[in-house]
Amino acid sequence: MDPSGINNFEEQWRKALSEASETPPKSIWENIEARLDENSEKGAVLPLWWQSKKLWLAAASVAALLIVGAGIWFSDSSKNGQNRIEVAGKATKSPATERTNTPEADRAAAQENTEAVASNAPDNVEPTDSKSVIKENNQTLTSATTSRENIGNSSGRSSASRVNSHSSIAAAGKSDIARVENTVSERNRDFAQSNNPASPGISSNEIQSNILAKTEISENAIAVDMLATPAYNELDIHMQKRYVFFKPDAIAKDDIKPKKHTEYWAGIGLMPASFNPDVQLKKTPQDFSYQALSSRKAVTASSEAGISYALQTHGGVRISKHWSVELGLSYLQGNSSYEGGGYLINSKSQSTNVLENALADASKGSSYGGGTDKFNNGALYVDITNKVSNNYQYLQMPVQAGFTLNPDKKLSYSLLGGMMANFFLSNEIEAASGDIITTKASDEIYRSMNWAATTGLRFNYRLSSRWKANLTGSYQKAISSGFRSNQTLDAHPYLYGVAWGVRYSF
Amino acid sequence: MTFNEQELVKGCKQRNRIAQKQLYDVFGGKLFAICLRYTKNRADAEDVLQDALIKIYENIDSYRGDSPLEYWLRSVVVNTALNHLRQQKYVKELDDIDYHLNGIADREFTLANFQLQQLLELVRELPQGCQTIFNLYAIEGYQHNEIAQKLGISEGTSKSQYARARALLQQKLNKETRFDDGSVRNKQL
Repeated sequence: MDPSGINNFEEQWRKALSEASETPPKSIWENIEARLDENSEKGAVLPLWWQSKKLWLAAASVAALLIVGAGIWFSDSSKNGQNRIEVAGKATKSPATERTNTPEADRAAAQENTEAVASNAPDNVEPTDSKSVIKENNQTLTSATTSRENIGNSSGRSSASRVNSHSSIAAAGKSDIARVENTVSERNRDFAQSNNPASPGISSNEIQSNILAKTEISENAIAVDMLATPAYNELDIHMQKRYVFFKPDAIAKDDIKPKKHTEYWAGIGLMPASFNPDVQLKKTPQDFSYQALSSRKAVTASSEAGISYALQTHGGVRISKHWSVELGLSYLQGNSSYEGGGYLINSKSQSTNVLENALADASKGSSYGGGTDKFNNGALYVDITNKVSNNYQYLQMPVQAGFTLNPDKKLSYSLLGGMMANFFLSNEIEAASGDIITTKASDEIYRSMNWAATTGLRFNYRLSSRWKANLTGSYQKAISSGFRSNQTLDAHPYLYGVAWGVRYSF
Repeated sequence: MTFNEQELVKGCKQRNRIAQKQLYDVFGGKLFAICLRYTKNRADAEDVLQDALIKIYENIDSYRGDSPLEYWLRSVVVNTALNHLRQQKYVKELDDIDYHLNGIADREFTLANFQLQQLLELVRELPQGCQTIFNLYAIEGYQHNEIAQKLGISEGTSKSQYARARALLQQKLNKETRFDDGSVRNKQL
C-alpha cells in the first residue's frame, strides 16, 4: 500500500498520459481551416444550443411565465380602467368649453384635444389626482378615443341616442364591462355634478348624454387596453429578457437549410489491369474447315488475359451527401493472347493461324485485305498449342454513379456503377508468320463503339482539404460484341483492374 | 509559449483566425494525444481531433470562463471521441465480466521507464470497451457511476471492464518490463 499515491496504478498512468502531447499532422489544421471557411461562407453557423431540448424547455417556461404574467396584469386592468375613465371624464371639460368644434373636424380636434387633455387636465381637475392619473394613463390612443367621443357628443346632440343604444347593447352583451360601467357612471355622475356649476351652458340632457357616452368610452378604453401594448414601465425584467433569449433576428438569419454538398472534382489515375477480349470462334474458319482435324481443333482455341493498363482521367460532381456522378475519358491498352487452334502451312510455306484466318473470313467484303485463300487444298495442318498476341486499344468513356460511405471522413469508401462506351482504336494480332496484323476502326471489322457495364469499389483517402488519393478496384464487361458481324467471331471483352489515382476538389 | 488565455478566448469568440490557430498551436498536441488514447488508429484520431476542434471553434461562445480553458477543451474532445466510438459502434454492449481488483492492486510499480508511445500503444491495444473505460476512469478521473451514465451501461459493468483493463495492462507491462531491463520483479500476476 502506498498512501502517498506515488506508486498508485491510476496515479502513475495519469501522470504519464494526462499531460501527454503529440504533434498532430499539418494536414489537420488545413482541413479545419477549410471547414471553418466553408462554414463562414454559408453564413452564420447554426448554434448547437438551438437544437438543445433544454433551451426549448426554457423557452416554454418563459412563455408560460408570460401567459401567467399577462393574466395577472389583465386582472389588474379593471382598476386601471377606472383610472382611465376618470381621465376621460376630466377630459370632457375641454370640449365642453370649446364648443366651436364640429363633427366634421372630429379627427383634427381629437388630436388637438389629446394635447389639450395633457395640458388642461392639471388646471381643470384636482391637482393631486390628475397628475398621477395622467402619468399612469399616458396612452395617446385612449385619450384620443375619449376626446373624440366627447367632442361628438358635445357638438352633435343627435348622437346621444346612438350612443345610448350602443351602450345598452354593450351592457347587455358584456356583463363584466357592465360592472365597470356602473362604477364609471357613478363616477361620471359625480363628476358631472361637480362640474355643473363650472359650466352652466351644459344642460342636464347634455350631462346625461355625456354619461352615456362615457359608458361607451369606458368600454372602448377597455377594449383598446386589450389590444394596446402594456406600458414599458409595467413590464417585468423577465419579459425583456425574453428578447435576448429568443434572439428573433437569429431565427430570421438561421434558416435551417439542408447542407449543400455540391462539390466538383477532377482526377487522374493509372490502372494496371487484366484484360481478356474473350474472343470466340462461332464457326471454323473457312480454310480450316477442309480438314476434319483442323476443323475440330480450330474452335477449341481461347483467349487469355494479358497484363494491360489504362490511363484514366475523370471529373465528377457530388450531388448529395452520399451520391455522386462522374464522367471519364481513358485510354486502354488491352493486351491478351490467343491460344490453341494450330495453324496451316501450304505448299508455298505460307502459314495462317486460326485467328488471322477467322479475321480474314470476317473481313470478306470489307476493305480489309489480309485474306488468305491458298490453304484450301493440300495445306498441312499443324496441331500445336501456339499462342499469339492479340492486343487492343480502346478509348473509354465511363459514366458512373457513386455512393460514398463516410463521405466527410479521412477514409471514405465509394461504390461505383455505370456504363462505359468503348471506342475501338486498333487491334494487333500476331500472324502465324510472326508479322503483326493491325486492324483499324476504319477496316470495319470491329464495332467502332461498344458498350460495357462497369462496377467498382473505391477507397478515398483525404490528403488535404482539396486532395484525395484513391484506390479503385473495377470490373468492366462488354455487353455487346466487339465485332460488327458475329457470324464468325464474337468477343465480349472484360477487364479487372486496380486503379491508383489522385483527385482535386474545387 | 506564453499567451493570455482570456485574449485567446475573446479572439476565438470573434472568429479571429489567428486566435483560432493559436489555440490549435497551444492545445492541439495535448488534444491529439487524448484522441490517440481513445481510438484504435491514427486516422480515426485525426478525424476525432478535427471534429472536436470544429465543435470547439463553433461553440466557443458557450465557454463561460468559469473553469480553465483546457478543462473545457478536454471535455469537448473526450465527448467527441465517445460520440465517434458510438457512431462506429465500438461501444457495444459491454459484458459484465467477472474481473476483480483482488491481488493486483497496490503493487509497487512505475511507468517511468516507458516511452509515451509505448504507453499509448498499450492502451490502444486494449479491447475497445476496456480502453474507453480505462481512459475515463484512470486518466480523466471520472467515477464509475459517471462513466456508467455517460456510456449507458451499468456501474458494475464499468467496474469490471476497468478491472479487466487494469489486469491486461499489468500483464503487458510485466512483459515489457522483462524485455526492457531483464528484471523479473513483477513476474507474479
